[in-house]
Amino acid sequence: MFDKILIANRGEIALRILRACKELGISTVAVHSTADADAMHVRLADESVCIGPPPSKDSYLNVPALLAACEITGAEAVHPGYGFLSENARFAEILADHNLQFIGPKAEHIRLMGDKIEAKKTARKLGIPVVPGSDGAVEPGDDAMAIAKAIGFPVLVKAAAGGGGRGMKVAQTQADLALALTTAANEARSAFGDASVYLEKYLAKPRHIEIQVLGDGRGGAIHLGERDCSLQRRHQKVWEEGPSPALDAAARAKIGLTVAKAMQQLKYLGVGTVEFLFEDGEFYFIEMNTRIQVEHPVTEMITDIDLVLEQIRIAAGGDLPMTQDEVQIIGHSIECRVNAENPLSFRPSPGKILQYHPPGGLGVRIDSAVYQGYVIPPFYDSLVGKLIVHGKTRGECLMRLRRALDEMVVDGIETTLPLFRALVREPAIIDGDYHIHWLEQYLSGQQGN
Amino acid sequence: MARQPDAKTTPKFSSDDSALIRELALLLDETSLTEIEIERAGLRLRVARNISIAAGIPANVPLTAAAPVAAAAATAAAATADLSKHPGVVPSPMVGTAYWAPEPGAKPFIDVGAKVSAGQTLLIIEAMKTMNQIPSPRAGTVTQILVEDGQPVEFGEPLVIIE
Repeated sequence: MFDKILIANRGEIALRILRACKELGISTVAVHSTADADAMHVRLADESVCIGPPPSKDSYLNVPALLAACEITGAEAVHPGYGFLSENARFAEILADHNLQFIGPKAEHIRLMGDKIEAKKTARKLGIPVVPGSDGAVEPGDDAMAIAKAIGFPVLVKAAAGGGGRGMKVAQTQADLALALTTAANEARSAFGDASVYLEKYLAKPRHIEIQVLGDGRGGAIHLGERDCSLQRRHQKVWEEGPSPALDAAARAKIGLTVAKAMQQLKYLGVGTVEFLFEDGEFYFIEMNTRIQVEHPVTEMITDIDLVLEQIRIAAGGDLPMTQDEVQIIGHSIECRVNAENPLSFRPSPGKILQYHPPGGLGVRIDSAVYQGYVIPPFYDSLVGKLIVHGKTRGECLMRLRRALDEMVVDGIETTLPLFRALVREPAIIDGDYHIHWLEQYLSGQQGN
Repeated sequence: MARQPDAKTTPKFSSDDSALIRELALLLDETSLTEIEIERAGLRLRVARNISIAAGIPANVPLTAAAPVAAAAATAAAATADLSKHPGVVPSPMVGTAYWAPEPGAKPFIDVGAKVSAGQTLLIIEAMKTMNQIPSPRAGTVTQILVEDGQPVEFGEPLVIIE
């Protein structure tokens, strides 16, 4: 087991990692930019190293500074969290070159799944159902129209180097295709440095259902059930829950088994999430995330497995915590991502939190690094914290969430708490009857009022 | 300043401890503090000077005499924080290990009192076997050298004061 881990991230996930390290008796090194000198995880860590000025490229993405911080503190492993360098295969390789352990998947799998075209090809080879689409990138010489017609309109033009909801354009009809292709390619070039695009069938009202996996790197892998993350705004998840209201035990077992077998074949190491669109009883692979995800607490609450702790244990050579048969899904969990944004315009609202009172009680969990008096810096994401509740049934979970949301106070900045208070009372949400366009339709309906 | 980890060893009274006590006692003298107490994993040390209050001191002597002592007791953390705002401070532009000289045994680049020109090398900061020369941002006189030879430094840490 590691003696000392450097946490290469910030905010709530850095605190999350720190907590797992402390529970394992591992010394912690918090690296931070000058803007994060007062961060909660920096205060709680055994050691801290300021690695640069506020901009991410000079601090949290600054590989030489991170390596130097490992050197001067004697850290032997680096946990990259999510975002930043967590899916940077090159960073994983550089760490290995310096005899430092990267707490995450093998670099080859990060690279494989980072290229969305290759990921889809791999998924298909491994027997995972995929969205009908172009077979690989659409080259300039290809007959894009013929490919699109074969798929059937509407089609989605997607950046090969994209992901996380970015770099996608819809072509509703044949007339829209040419423009969608050029716009998507141009955006992809400037955002990801790679203009390659591919086509996929655009599903009308799918749900976003993802499967959490855990692999030991030696051919052992288990799935830990699904999360339904259909409620999204601009492709960013806002509310996640597990199990999905749309799946029954048989459907869950079937897709879970397919995914677990694929991960066993890959000899996947660590945590990962295989994301699907689900429509009319069919699953369609869209991408795999080779990292711990923001919404991992939902799975933790229903399986009682500490995923970050397992990441660390497995990276240190440990075994899977249990067999597939031993995995139990108990009850229901919902997570709300509370952002420092205006709840109607979603304009960012950084600044000082004057009053902070987190909710409590049975089945209520807050994953947040803020505290009263904390100033949310303007340089990074706007996540204030994640409110996660657990209940024996979805109904109990919703009541608990309503109660917890009503108790929670974050004053001094604007937050999206009012949005969640409204959603938890909304009939379609209560019925679990929603899809990936539902939230945006709801929000534009609200603005119309 | 990169905070250092707690010592993990179980404490037994050792020659290290008596050396530490001697050091603390010296510190008491140098700073005119009356008491110093430190705590590390499993070890707490308190060194105090015996004060006898002369009978002639009137009861209404203001307690401001205690204030400078308490202020001095804020020690290294506050001192470094103040120095980071010093107009002559040269902060570290990177993470690494600071060295006074170009190589072990060589003459240090600067001494306190040295006059330097803009761009002149003050220190080396080493990271991953790469030596980085740290230039002076301005011409002036070195009034303080704030890091030890071989000390780990973080981004922004005050290295030297040039006035």
